Amino acid sequence: MDQFSTVTGQLLEGFSQNCIIFAVTLVAAIPLGLIISLGSMSKFAPLKALTRTFVWIIRGTPLMLQIFVVFYVPPLLFGVRMRERIAAAIIAFIINYAAYFSEIFRGGIEGIPKGQYEAGQVLGMKKSQIFFKVVLMQVFKRIVAPMSNEIITLVKDTSLARVIAIPEILKEAENFSKQGLIWPLFYTGAFFLLFCGVLTLLFRFIEKKLDYYKG
Amino acid sequence: MALLEVKNIKKSFGRTEVLKDISFSLEKGEVLAIIGSSGSGKTTLLRCINFLETPQEGVISVNGEVLFDGADPSKKRESEIRKNRLHFGMVFQQFNLFPQYTVFENLILAPQLMAKEQIKVKGEYMGAKTYKQAQDEIKSEAEKLLKKVGLTEKSKSYPCDLSGGQQQRVAIARALALNPDVLCFDEPTSALDPELTGEVLNVIKGLKSTDSTMIVVTHEIGFARDVADKIIFMDNGVIEEEGTPAQVIENPKSPRTKEFLSRFNQFGD
Repeated sequence: MDQFSTVTGQLLEGFSQNCIIFAVTLVAAIPLGLIISLGSMSKFAPLKALTRTFVWIIRGTPLMLQIFVVFYVPPLLFGVRMRERIAAAIIAFIINYAAYFSEIFRGGIEGIPKGQYEAGQVLGMKKSQIFFKVVLMQVFKRIVAPMSNEIITLVKDTSLARVIAIPEILKEAENFSKQGLIWPLFYTGAFFLLFCGVLTLLFRFIEKKLDYYKG
Repeated sequence: MALLEVKNIKKSFGRTEVLKDISFSLEKGEVLAIIGSSGSGKTTLLRCINFLETPQEGVISVNGEVLFDGADPSKKRESEIRKNRLHFGMVFQQFNLFPQYTVFENLILAPQLMAKEQIKVKGEYMGAKTYKQAQDEIKSEAEKLLKKVGLTEKSKSYPCDLSGGQQQRVAIARALALNPDVLCFDEPTSALDPELTGEVLNVIKGLKSTDSTMIVVTHEIGFARDVADKIIFMDNGVIEEEGTPAQVIENPKSPRTKEFLSRFNQFGD
């Protein structure tokens, strides 16, 4: 029993790192993703090409590699080292997830029928009014399901941060296994399951809240 | 002076000429029906009048004020177009109601945004000096409009809970909420089941009796004959024939008009 509480305490400490990466990434990647999605829908061809290339590179390479790049490349190039390892991980996560989110946003925005914009136009609304008062809410409803998918993936991806020696939950469990204690490794699954379970309930609640209209 | 004057409108999409030199005028209180086969340019003409498309050439004026001139780039600025659009209301084939808002909210959204902006810039909106005043005005106007289209009891419903005919009646009320000079309809009954077209056409007929100036693009020849003061038959981007319903529908002169109408008469429209 004593061993169980020691392990639980240690793993919880590790999981707090996962939670920090998760929360900061989510808060920063959503607005950044929206900006990228607007770029990828731009009528200005160079901007569109630039953002689409960026999305291709980020989605086309492993997140683990991106973490390495953010961690090792700045010191090699400029001789500066990030004081906190976790900052490097978070930057890589934000960039990676913003790229994925941007594609979800793009799909959501492009899926709104042209008639909605035109109805706003003939009613004398400004472009910004049409976007914020007419389109955005509908986009939100459309992207809840794909976003919940991506956000749940993010929870589990946070354990990749161990590749630059961040003491997240799996890293802590590995330390136990190196001392011959295997079960904490499997025990980590419970933390992820619980966290994702709460998120699933939350998303179900949001979907239900938005169920009052169709379209 | 005519309320609406459209002169020499030309519009091409790429190399396809859709409107080839269209001119017509409309007096206050008149109802114009535009008929013609699919692809003849009727809808494009209506969209040009509402500035949803920009013609390459031509002039559009309302009450003698030039709103659009193909030769004058200053008339193509977004802010200018937005202001000019308010002379026109538009009812779409697919209704295009805002699904996340109730019927009532659909009606008041645009006027509220307009009131906020105009009170800030000009210090008043339709006589109201404060936003609160304007809002009361907008709400009571919306209630009147809902009554006019017979949907008072649906005020709190969402568009998805209404039939197609009801949705289109809401769309008509929404277009009227901004008090346009000319109300345009783009095939308002084409997306409806046959048994629902009647209620929408009746609302449009009702508007005629209140002296609204309207342009209706339609395939309902019988309706056009009953309601319109003036009919334009379009074919292949030109006005093939225009005149009163008696002239165009009962006694068409052009062979193309005759051919088009004969197809309707066959089925005893």
